[in-house]
Amino acid sequence: MSEPTTTHVSERECDVVVRARRLVAEDVVELTFGLEDDEELPAWTPGAHVDLMLAPDLLRQYSLCGSPNDRTYQVAVLRAPDSRGGSMAVHELPEGARVRIRGPRNNFPLVRAQRYIFIAGGIGITPMLPMIEEAIASGAEWSLHYGGRSRSSMAYLERLAAYGDRVHVVPQDEAGLLDLGSILGSPDDSTRVYCCGPEPLLAAVEALCSAWPPGSLHLERFAAKDVVREGADQPFEAVLQRRGVTVTVGADESLFDAVRAAGVSVLGSCLEGICGTCETGVLEGDVDHRDSVLDAEEQEAMDTMMICVSRCRGERLVLDL
Amino acid sequence: MSSHTHSPARRVSNVPHEAWYAAALSTEVGSTPLARRVLGQRVVLFRTSTGQAVALTDRCVHAPVALSEGRVQGDEIIAPYSGFRYDASGTCTSVPSQERVPYGARVHAYPVHEDGSFIWVWPGEPALAALRRPPSTEWLRDPAWTTFGDQVETRASIRLMQDNFADITHVTHVDPEIAPPALGDGPPPPLEVQVSETSVSFWREYPPAPMPAWQSLVMELPAWRRLPQREEGEFVSPGLWVDRWTVDLEDGRSARWIFTHALTPVSENSTRHVWRVSRDFSPSPAVDGTVTPLFTRYYQRVRHLLEDMQRIVDEDGPVFEVRVAADAAGSQVRRIMDRLVADEVGVRD
Repeated sequence: MSEPTTTHVSERECDVVVRARRLVAEDVVELTFGLEDDEELPAWTPGAHVDLMLAPDLLRQYSLCGSPNDRTYQVAVLRAPDSRGGSMAVHELPEGARVRIRGPRNNFPLVRAQRYIFIAGGIGITPMLPMIEEAIASGAEWSLHYGGRSRSSMAYLERLAAYGDRVHVVPQDEAGLLDLGSILGSPDDSTRVYCCGPEPLLAAVEALCSAWPPGSLHLERFAAKDVVREGADQPFEAVLQRRGVTVTVGADESLFDAVRAAGVSVLGSCLEGICGTCETGVLEGDVDHRDSVLDAEEQEAMDTMMICVSRCRGERLVLDL
Repeated sequence: MSSHTHSPARRVSNVPHEAWYAAALSTEVGSTPLARRVLGQRVVLFRTSTGQAVALTDRCVHAPVALSEGRVQGDEIIAPYSGFRYDASGTCTSVPSQERVPYGARVHAYPVHEDGSFIWVWPGEPALAALRRPPSTEWLRDPAWTTFGDQVETRASIRLMQDNFADITHVTHVDPEIAPPALGDGPPPPLEVQVSETSVSFWREYPPAPMPAWQSLVMELPAWRRLPQREEGEFVSPGLWVDRWTVDLEDGRSARWIFTHALTPVSENSTRHVWRVSRDFSPSPAVDGTVTPLFTRYYQRVRHLLEDMQRIVDEDGPVFEVRVAADAAGSQVRRIMDRLVADEVGVRD
């Protein structure tokens, strides 16, 4: 029997003020945010992003492109037409405007390596700016391949010019598309590839990196956080692999309860997807994660789930029970 | 230039190295060298003639002697036995037996940040230190706050200690006299936990409850008085916890406590713990006299319990442990610590 909620886990939110705005390319504005009283903002590492909360159901994510040492946050916003005007609204924020932010969070952390290949398309350059500083400080070798429509559309070219010939700027109207086949032609296990940009670039890089050792490629997709659940819960099957038992989970019961009702002893405690006690290995199937424990990478990997709150996206899960 | 540096080896494996840790109090370091271990590494701390704090690897490049057994002269430290001299950058500047200093002779110099209370050192890649702000503890130097405390080496891993600070529901059981009655009155109020990429904070709001007798006494309030109270905790960075307790005095004012914990791993199973108790009311020494022994005793009890826990883990090994909803903040802290370590080591998924 579930107890009433006694624990609530959420991400940090702050009200910040736009301290500065400046145009850094055609259609790209750099915004600098600080806390009203100049208190410290939450610390972050390269690859991190924040949500700008423009309205209760209108969030936009932006990579932090300044330095983790700054007392302010910096983001660069591309004015792009989108159905609800989110990025337009952010682009227009004047100096002195107040906005609520959530996070930061980081699904794109820079992992220690001897060598990095940074591949950026358009506004995807933003998370890589602090990554480059970090790579230099850690003594790693690195190169940046930066594609975009034209020089005037590509932000931060002057800042990147300071790094010399490790940076390859490839505007499409001058040099065509990035030669990914050549950039990624030599897989090796001491190199990490970081890529951020439009979907076609990500897809192409992903395809070429299938020849690389697993775990070499790190991608950032600016996918909106999915919170809305359409429709009622569906029943599904859960195969308990080790016991050779199949359990039907009804639409109105949790996987945890169904497993226990089948006589299988599983540990659970908070029953709210918070404490991690009921974490169970997943062998097959698409998990509908509803917990507050796993991060985006872990959720995507679908190796594990919190059976007290999470369910199945399809019809069947195979669990390590 | 190439260097024959004793580069600090990674001796404590489950703790982030790319972080600031308090190696000493500002008042512990002067022209007398101080030996400390930080993440298992031998560190010597001293000040140059201008008062600048320096942290070097505590081992001479010529012989396995501790620089901390030597002496400071001017802006340099002189190793015992070998007589090699090192400056604040760790460079060997002279040796007794020849004109020429051996090429590249130097010891590792740790980035140092001094904030007036602590000397923070960075045990990781030195160039990365400039890219991470050291944690701030400005209330420890603010005259509006009265502070006392102590430090002790606890034979328990920093991970066990962090589990301890992430959840205060044990306080009633460890020390009923010091514990606020609010903590013991049945199931606790809802726990709010907020996370960001590298930090966790949590809090609970308690409905009006009496204070423990000692607190009523020092706040000069009648013992029967019931006041709303608030518990807060914050995992600021791997080396710093800040907990708070606030009493609402109902006339718009509040009486606040801040509990500062600087944690520095000495080894895998031992941690230097600096604890400070600060209050923004009743600054008199008489109040210090009343509360200091209470907190000293409390932290001693916690230390003994943590050392017992470490002993059991050392003897019998770790086992799966049942967690409860109150562990929500601690679970998030563990995840952040594990992720920071994995990123540093470059673990492949």
